[in-house]
Amino acid sequence: MRVNKNCVGCGQCAVFCKKNAIEVLGRARITDSCVECGLCASYCPVKAIEFEVST
Amino acid sequence: MKAVVIGAGLGGLLSAAGLAKAGYEVEVFESLPITGGRFTNLEYEGFKLSTGALHMLPHGPKGPLAQLLSKVGAEVKIVRSEPQTILRVPLEKEARDYKKGFLDIPFNDFPTRLSRKDRMKIAYLIVSTRKNRPTGSSLKTWIKAQLKDEDDWLVKLADSFCGWALSLTSEETPVEEVFEIIENLYRYGGPGIPIGGCKGIIDALESVLEAKGAKIHTKSEVSKILIENGKAVGVIAAGKKIEAELVISNIGHPGSARLCEGEKENLEGVGWTNYLKQAKAQKPSAGIKICLAAAEPLVGHSGVLLTPYAKRINGLDEVSHVDPTLAPAGKHLTMSHQHVSPERIKFLREEIELGLQDLKEIFSDKTYEVLFIQSYHADWPVNRAASGTDIGNETPISGLYVVGDGAKGRGGIEVEGVALGVAQTLQKILGESPE
Repeated sequence: MRVNKNCVGCGQCAVFCKKNAIEVLGRARITDSCVECGLCASYCPVKAIEFEVST
Repeated sequence: MKAVVIGAGLGGLLSAAGLAKAGYEVEVFESLPITGGRFTNLEYEGFKLSTGALHMLPHGPKGPLAQLLSKVGAEVKIVRSEPQTILRVPLEKEARDYKKGFLDIPFNDFPTRLSRKDRMKIAYLIVSTRKNRPTGSSLKTWIKAQLKDEDDWLVKLADSFCGWALSLTSEETPVEEVFEIIENLYRYGGPGIPIGGCKGIIDALESVLEAKGAKIHTKSEVSKILIENGKAVGVIAAGKKIEAELVISNIGHPGSARLCEGEKENLEGVGWTNYLKQAKAQKPSAGIKICLAAAEPLVGHSGVLLTPYAKRINGLDEVSHVDPTLAPAGKHLTMSHQHVSPERIKFLREEIELGLQDLKEIFSDKTYEVLFIQSYHADWPVNRAASGTDIGNETPISGLYVVGDGAKGRGGIEVEGVALGVAQTLQKILGESPE
């Protein structure tokens, strides 16, 4: 998952992440524990979390 | 009659409950999987943190929100804070911070820190301003014009109060708004804590809606407001057309306007351009909340602790004194709020660091753990419209109303302003307040 510039740092994603894979300090940061389940994106109120487009 | 509500935040659910009670068929559409917006609980390590608000109602059990909840039949217990507001001041009058010790004094004792001359002037102003309300300037300008305030004590106090209550500085706060708040403090009293935290209120509203057969759809984003002949006739929600006589939007004026833009041909001749200009001129307010856990209380009471001599932190509350279930057994939940000025939003991490330094100073003699740090600005702000910049609940589209913290009533702090705005909207729609 990747965090775009919409992120305000409200932390809602981190609370709902089942893998404890999001750190929040002013904005969200996805850690290596992420399993790309995408749950966080649905809880984001500002559409700041997107699936990473693999190249 | 059918009403659609966009957004299941506090303003949306209050409106939905009021309309359902008045006999409307109501459907609420919420884009997120959870309801409550920035006014509900977030479960975190056994604590009930929140999505936004600090589990406190500025005017407690007699305030506009409590009154509206009771009117719509939502049963929530709200406990008045005791004491109400405490000021933390440096032990020595000349000190500029808390490093050499501090003293906690009741809010009403603030004049004791003034010079004799300013004390007399304040005593006079407290009486005279109730009849002749100051207007036309910022709070800071007014203070500096009326009083000497040599060591900036009153400006510091004003900044911490405005920061805590409105997430603004005294320079950003219109003096009218402050005196309206003061009048509301006389009228309704000081803060209170809802049992169950923010979610206690959201749950109570949802019970009312369920009993009235109203539906709440989560994960259902509204993509368009449908308009015919200058009148709202429904929405597109989760890709489906929903017809309604009334549309209540809880997403602020600019966001609501965006949902109407697809209907450009229907927006001519209704004063749309002017409305858009007003909507876009609204500025959201920004802030940072730091949640602390401690075995021994940090604040020590259920009221507000204002910290005028901190660098960034405006104030704190410790709601677990009233509702111990908001923290795990044997722990307290303490939350701080700090205002962030628009030019500092790009330096949020620095602002957070300054807040954390303040907390170390404020609680230099205590042990605590930093649980969680949350920031709010832009599209998920403290307030969608900074207090004093609200433009009412009506729109140029008949049957379309905007509620929430982007359309608060005058002098209403945070959720009290939301409640005043909803009450005014219901009054307009129903011709009277719902029973």
